[in-house]
Order: sequence, then structure tokens, then C-alpha cells
Amino acid sequence: MVTKDEIMKIAILSKLSVGEDEIDKLTEDMGEIISFAYTINKAADIESDFDNINNLSNVLREDEVVPSMEREQILKNAKDSDDGCFMVKNIMK
Amino acid sequence: MNESKIAQLHKGLVNKEFSCMELTEKYIEAINKDNEALNAYVTVTPETAVETARKVDEKIAGGKEIGLLEGIPMTLKDNISTNGIRTTCCSKILEDYTPIYDATVWDILKKQNAILLGKTNMDEFAMGSSCENSYFGGAKNPHDLGHVAGGSSCGVASAVGGNIAVYGLGSDTGGSIRQPASFCGIVGMKPTYGAVSRFGLIAYASSLDQIGPITTSVEDTAIVFDAIAQYDKMDSTSQGRKGAPVCDSLKNDIKGMKIGIAKEYFEGIRDDVRKSVEDAIKVYQTLGAEIVYFDLPSLKYALPVYYIIACAEASSNLGRYDGIRYGYKAVDYKDVNDMVKKTRSTGFGEEVKRRILLGTYVLSSGYYDAYYKKAQNLRGKIVQDFRNVFESCDVILAPTVPMTAFENGHAVSDPVETYQTDICTVPVNICGLPAVSVPCGFDSDGLPIGMQLIGNSFEEARILNAAWQYENAADKYKAAGFGVKY
Amino acid sequence: MKYELVAGFETHVELATNTKIFCSCTTEFGGEPNTHCCPICIGLPGTLPKLNKKVVEYAIRAGLATNCEIAEISKMDRKNYCYPDLPKAYQISQYDKPLCEHGYIQLSNGRKIRILRIHIEEDAGKLVHRRGDTLVDYNRGGVPLIEIVTEPDFRSVDEAKEYVEKLQLIMRYIGVSDCRMQEGSMRCDVNISVRPEGSEKLGTRTEIKNMNSITFIAKAMEYEYGRQVDLIESGEKVVQETLRYDDVTNTTSSMRGKEDANDYRYFRDPDLVTINVPREKVEQIKEELPELPEEKKNRYIDELGLPEADASLLTKYRKIAEYYEKASEGTKNPKTAANFIIGQIFRSVETESEKEEFNVSVSAENLNELIILLDSGKIRMNLAKSTLDKMLETGKKASELIDESDMGGLDENTLLDLCKQAVENNPKAVSDYLGGKEKAVKAMVGFVMKNSRGKADAALAEQKIIDMIKNT
Repeated sequence: MVTKDEIMKIAILSKLSVGEDEIDKLTEDMGEIISFAYTINKAADIESDFDNINNLSNVLREDEVVPSMEREQILKNAKDSDDGCFMVKNIMK
Repeated sequence: MNESKIAQLHKGLVNKEFSCMELTEKYIEAINKDNEALNAYVTVTPETAVETARKVDEKIAGGKEIGLLEGIPMTLKDNISTNGIRTTCCSKILEDYTPIYDATVWDILKKQNAILLGKTNMDEFAMGSSCENSYFGGAKNPHDLGHVAGGSSCGVASAVGGNIAVYGLGSDTGGSIRQPASFCGIVGMKPTYGAVSRFGLIAYASSLDQIGPITTSVEDTAIVFDAIAQYDKMDSTSQGRKGAPVCDSLKNDIKGMKIGIAKEYFEGIRDDVRKSVEDAIKVYQTLGAEIVYFDLPSLKYALPVYYIIACAEASSNLGRYDGIRYGYKAVDYKDVNDMVKKTRSTGFGEEVKRRILLGTYVLSSGYYDAYYKKAQNLRGKIVQDFRNVFESCDVILAPTVPMTAFENGHAVSDPVETYQTDICTVPVNICGLPAVSVPCGFDSDGLPIGMQLIGNSFEEARILNAAWQYENAADKYKAAGFGVKY
Repeated sequence: MKYELVAGFETHVELATNTKIFCSCTTEFGGEPNTHCCPICIGLPGTLPKLNKKVVEYAIRAGLATNCEIAEISKMDRKNYCYPDLPKAYQISQYDKPLCEHGYIQLSNGRKIRILRIHIEEDAGKLVHRRGDTLVDYNRGGVPLIEIVTEPDFRSVDEAKEYVEKLQLIMRYIGVSDCRMQEGSMRCDVNISVRPEGSEKLGTRTEIKNMNSITFIAKAMEYEYGRQVDLIESGEKVVQETLRYDDVTNTTSSMRGKEDANDYRYFRDPDLVTINVPREKVEQIKEELPELPEEKKNRYIDELGLPEADASLLTKYRKIAEYYEKASEGTKNPKTAANFIIGQIFRSVETESEKEEFNVSVSAENLNELIILLDSGKIRMNLAKSTLDKMLETGKKASELIDESDMGGLDENTLLDLCKQAVENNPKAVSDYLGGKEKAVKAMVGFVMKNSRGKADAALAEQKIIDMIKNT
């Protein structure tokens, strides 16, 4: 059974915060989902050489420069930017 | 103009029975009238639609030849990137995100002067089966507004089923084209993995995602597929269509075609759905097809295998939503790490967060072998099993969904029970196979039932041929008609 | 008790391709922030990577030059971690199937440093902290890297220094990187542990991250070695951790333990396909590989008879070696060209980066022409030297600067005549010489040289003058 601590650990790895009020319900839901996922272990162990679905290899690109995009476009969707850079403002100062 | 099939509309435009502007305006009016009830569109783009319509009319007036999809009003699921038009994935986290490039599929259609009416609703990041995970609220079923349109490409299915778009492109990771098409009584195809470029499709699960058409007829699906199935150098997994245009073989005789039936596909299926699919088998027999029965025991692992792989990839694909470069950004935070966590925790909905957590879990050290690695091995096994089946049959026939559209708000609070909805659709994604869902009847409430035809890799021509022959033969569902019921 | 140092290296080398590893943006260094970017390298939703062919080739080249085995089947994996300089929140790298494995680099003391693996991956962007704000520039994001990982085979700081220099040299020679440490195109992480001499058991190691100067690497290693020995001697334990080296205080300090222990959750990148390296391709790359610096240096010493110091200087940069080989082609003594280059031409290339570029005003062909004139006896060494100085100044050819009349030596009578004049015109020098100042003769030789425009044989002139003074 999955524990609260395990859920907290994967939440940190996932960069998600879980509130005190959410953790019990989340642990319960995740426990159910994880148990469901675990059912595959009923299947016999098999080795398969599965890599990519159509067995493609060596799909490569030539080393030729294409002009980059205008910086204005690159920064267009950023909430904060300064000096041509994306920015995370220090809101504590 | 009451006919909403691509070929007929094309003929109408060419013969100047109506102008492209008239056609476009008719659809814009229909959206204005019906979208509030259907909630199919999340962004409507009448200006660009009208502008393109004007171009097409000028071309027709100038005596120039136009392509089949030229001037035909359509829609895109809101996870397909459109330069300058906001693309939200129906998530708070991308609510005001405007792409600066076009997805390859849209680039192809735009160059053919397709009329984009707007972007349509979906479950947030394509995760869901009822559309109720959309940040903008669910799209409704045109057959009965009290029911959901399905998921995750609910908006496209609702719009096409409700005739406020002629056709649309959706994406299918575990059934997200076929399931809503089935719920809305229309046709939807998930092409072979690699047939259609994924470049510009906002990823849910990269090894399973595939863009495909949702239309009101098999022929329309074939027309749209022929247009978008092109090799794309921007997508390393792209191969394009193999062989001749699928439209060429649509009406071929299917006498002697071997149609495979696996009993596993019929386990846990609602009786009326089973009955409808069994009736379809009879139709095929009358058309001269040979029915072959076989077992697919590994199918019982398909659902957990799918959820493990899809969520693992999703947890990685969705890591980039940190508020820095685009999308929602938390306003109150201590430091960068806190900003990222707050952004993600408020920006993502519950189901998305659950899937990210599951994905992180199955990849993390200590669990990788029992979950992700095991799932990959089983994926290989399921791929092999399907490959074997196709040695003795041409197409596989199965129900699309075990049930018909649920009532609004009915989508169970129990996540695992909700996942069961995908049991018939996920195997083809796991194996990268093509499958088309076609309507095959109605339940006692008048809600549509769908069945799917599954083919071997890159054999879209064969499944569409079988689907067209059935559609042509079966008229029982046609009598009920399409369109919104009020 | 004496303690032995045990260290291993992880070196990131930026590849000198034109474009980034997964998109077609330029890899040029510098540039205004975020001007070498596109939707792919800033990780916009829906974008997909496409692998640069050159990156695979360069990595194989690097592998072959360091005696690695090249994998037949390789693949790309995602290394998941969230940091603002990583736009997709995962780095596309290689986990369990790197392109190259099991190589080595041999040091001058004969020891082999085993190379565990070389894999390809993408670089991250750059963060700048300004008054508490965090600014992000993704120009460097997606620049191709190879990571070269050694076994813990280093036993001294000197070995480490030699390894880094050698690695730098090899990578430059095979043309896969300029390895400019100050620009960050070569960066080293060093893991260090200590153990009582004679012990086989490895101690707890620490890792010093991201150093970009050989001097700092040496200082950091020395400091960290001392710190660990002190800890052990005072009965404390070395804690396994990641450290940062501060070059101002010359100390290492712990990089704040992030709230989460890293768990990179590696898995195959589903957006990329298998890399298949046919054996013929490996053979082809091997054949095209230039002579490596070590081989070249040994050849210069063994076959050309150059002193080791000269051979080292000439092989340090590939362009100098190429220049030397062209300049000495067809000449009598391989040392002549070496002396001209090291003695005179090196004066015009002072810095290391100038030496690396080796843009000198005298072409190798022109130096070769000068040496051939010298070899044929048409001009003498001192004229050759002064001519080379003029060539460096003007960029002209030797044949343009030397008159026909200058060619060939001076005949005996003219020489005697000039010597006589020298003696007659320098009575003071003569008396000085006779007074015991032997050096005074040099002034008179100078007179002869000047008036013969360098054509005279200085040694012969000196002998004649001494004879004249003594015989009068």
C-alpha cells in the first residue's frame, strides 16, 4: 500500500505541492490507481525487445543553420522578461 | 448547403451553388446559435475564417481550380498549435498561451485554404473520457445535451456531430478520437503511429499520441486522412502515408476479406452495445466477408500497461509548465522553486495532477522495474500478439466503447472505474495500429453506439474500405439523423 | 599515516557543430540573450527534437581518439529534473546505451586512465542572478555536449592536470571542440576520495562541480584532498556530497542540498528513434581521423630528431603542426623550420588562443621557400633570419625581398677588401683588441656584415680580421 510519505516524495519530484487537507484523499486515490497499475505483475515475466513502435533508426538532421526566431517572438508568452531574458522576479525584495 | 459532406460541399463551391463566404457565414451563425449549448468551441476565429473564405471566393471567381478541402469550414482540437491563435489544452496553465508556430497538420491545411472556425474543447491535456476535465467545462453531446460528448476530443466530436463544423482534427492517445466519435454517432480515425506528424501537437504521451480526423462519414475521414498523412522532417517518428491515397480503394469489394473477432473485446461490454456490434458482424457476412475468431489473452493487461506508459511519458512531457516561458505563473511565491510549485499546483486540474503523480511514481527508483519496465515488456508482448493475429485476418472488429455516452456529471468520482471506459480503445495505441470508429446503432435512449475496425500498421486503406462498405450497407442509424436535438 | 588521492573525472565538452543538437539554431558563442533560440530549444509545447547527424559523428570521433569501443545500437534517454535553465524539465541524454565505452588515455608516466563512457547530450541555458531576480538566457540551451566519464584512476593532481591538457589537445586535433575552458566549452566535475596508502578500499567521495580552468581544478583538488585527510585524521567522516569550488577563497563548499534527493527517472525518449552505427561507418570515421597529437609528437622526436620541448610546442595545436609540416616539406634538416617557427614566428602569436588560431603573416609556403634558399647555399643563415623578420613585417615572399645580387656568398677578394677597410676605419677597436678586449673584434665584423649587406660569412670575416691585426 502506498503511504503518505511516498506520495509526498513523488509530489516533490513532480513539483506539485499537496496541502494538509488534500493528502488523505490523494493518498487514497493514488493507492487505488497504483494498485490497479500493479496488476500487470500478474503477467508472466517476459523479455521483449520493444524500443520504438515502428522500429525506426537513424532519423537524423543535416548540420545546417536556420536563422533563429526574433527574440520578441521567443519572449512573447513570458509573463516577465527583462534585458532580453525570461525572468523570475524576486518578489520578496 | 444542407448537406455537410466534404465532397458535396466542394461540388457546391465549384459549381457556384453557394459562395465560400456564404458557407462560412452559415457555420459562424450556427456556432453563434448552438455553441452556448454544446460548449464545443473554446475559441472562435470568425475573422480569419472570413478572410480565408474571401480568398477562396476570389480564386473560384478567377476560374482557378480548388482543392477538396479548400474553403471547407473545420475545427482543430485545442491541443494543436496554431500560430497567433491561443492554444490552451483546456488547462488553466495554458489559458493565455499563443503559439508562435503552426503544427504541421495545420500548416498543411492552412496552405490548402481550410476555413478554421475555431479551436475546440477537450479534457485538460487530453486526459479524460468525458470532457469534464476541461478547464472550460465539458462539451455536450449533440444527440442529447444532458449527456457528455465523450473525451478527450469532445469539442471536435460535439461540433462535427452538431454540424457546427464540417470536420475536425482530434488527437487519440488511448481512444480520444474514437470514443467521442462513438458517443456522438460520427466517424473518427486514429491513424497508424507515424502516419500523421505530431509536430505542434501538445504532447500527452509521445509514444501513443496521434492526430486524426473526426467527420460525419467514412469518405470524409478518408479525404482528410489523405490530406494530412504526410512525411514531416520535423517529427523523427513521422513516416507519412504508405501506398496510394486511401480514397482510391474506399469502395472496393470486400468479398473474402477476413474480419477478426477477439472474444476479449466483448468482455464487460453492455448488452445493447454487444448486440449492435454483433449485428454489424452479420452485415459483414452478407457483404461476403469471412469472420475469423481468435483469442487475445494479453489484452487484459492493455489497460494498466496503457496507464503506466501514458502517465510516465506525461509526467515528463508536462514538466515544462513552470510559468517561466509561457502560460500561467503564480503571483505570490518565496523563490523560484516555490513559484514553480505554486504555478503547477494551481495551474493543473486534479486528473492531470493524478496522472503526473502516477507517472513520476512508476519511473522513480525502486518502482521502475515493477511498473514502467514491466509495462514496456508487456507492450512488446501485446504488439507481437496483434502482429500474429494479422497473419490470419485483414481487420479486427470490436466495440469502440463498452457503453454509450454518460449523463453529464455522471463521470464517476472513482478514477480507476473511469479508466475502464478506455478498455477497448487503448490496445491500438499501445501497438501503434490504425483504427476507425463508425456508428453502428443506438441504445434505447437514442444515444449512438460505435464499433471500431482495427488494421495492421499503415493499412488505413483496408479499414476505411471495410468501414465504407458497412456504412453504405447499414442504414438503420442514418434514419435517426444527425444534428442537435432541443 | 600517508593518504592516497583517488579521483575520477566527468568532463563536458561542447561540440563544434554549426547547429544545436536537436534544432537548427546556431551554436555560436555569445550573442544577445535569447537570440539563438527557436520554439524547439525553448521547449514550447508541441515541439519535437531531431538529432543532428554531426553530433553522432563527432562523438564517435572522440570515442575512437580515446580508444573507445563504439556501440552498434544506441539511443537517447530523458533525464528528468526541474530547473529554470532546462526548458523541457528534462535533459535529453544517454543512460544505459552510450555511444562510446571502455576507452583510455595514456599518461606520460605510463599509467592508463580508463574511460568508462562517452555519451551525447544537450547543454542547458544560462541563469543570471541580478538583485534577487533570476534571468534566463537559452542561447546555450541545446548546444551539443559529449560527457567523458573516467574510472577513478587518478592518483595525483599532476595526473589530473596532464589528463585535462591531453584531452583538450585530442579534442582540438580531431576538430570536435575548441575546448575553451574560459568560455565554458570544456567543464570538469571531479570526484575525489582519499584512502590510507596501500589500502584497496575506496573512501567516501565528494564531487566538485563545474570547474573551467586547469589551475582551479588543481587547486580545488589539493584543497579537497587536504580537507578530507584532515577530517579523517581528526576522527570525523567524509560526507558524500556535491561541492562548489570558490576560486577567490580557494575553498570548496557544499552546494545546498536541494529539498529533494535527485531521482532522474531516466527513460527512453519516445520522440527520438534508435541510433544504429554500422561498422563500416566506424571504419570510415577511423580512417578520416587525423594523426593524434601524441603520435605526432613521438614521430617528430623519433623520426625527425626534434628535441622533445620543440616537438611539444609544435604539436600543441593542430594548425601549428600543419604549418610546420608544410614549411619543412622537402627541406634538408627538419630542425631548421622548427627553429624558425619557435624562434621568430612565435613572437607574433603571444597568447594561447593566437597560437591556436595561428594566423601568421608568413605563409607556410613562403617559409618553405626561404628554407630552400638557405639549404641551397644561395643565402646564409643571418640573411635568412633578417629576411624572415622582414617577411613577418611585410608579408612578402623571400624571393621578393632578396636581390639577385644578394644571392650567393661573397668572393674572397671582396671579403678581404672589406676586412681591410674595417681594420683601417676602426683604430680604437684594433687597439682595444690588442689590449686584450677580444670582443672588440665584433664591431669590425659588424662593419663587414653591414657593408656586405649580410652576405659575408661572419665567422670567416672574424678570422680574417684577427689575422690582419695580428700580422700588422
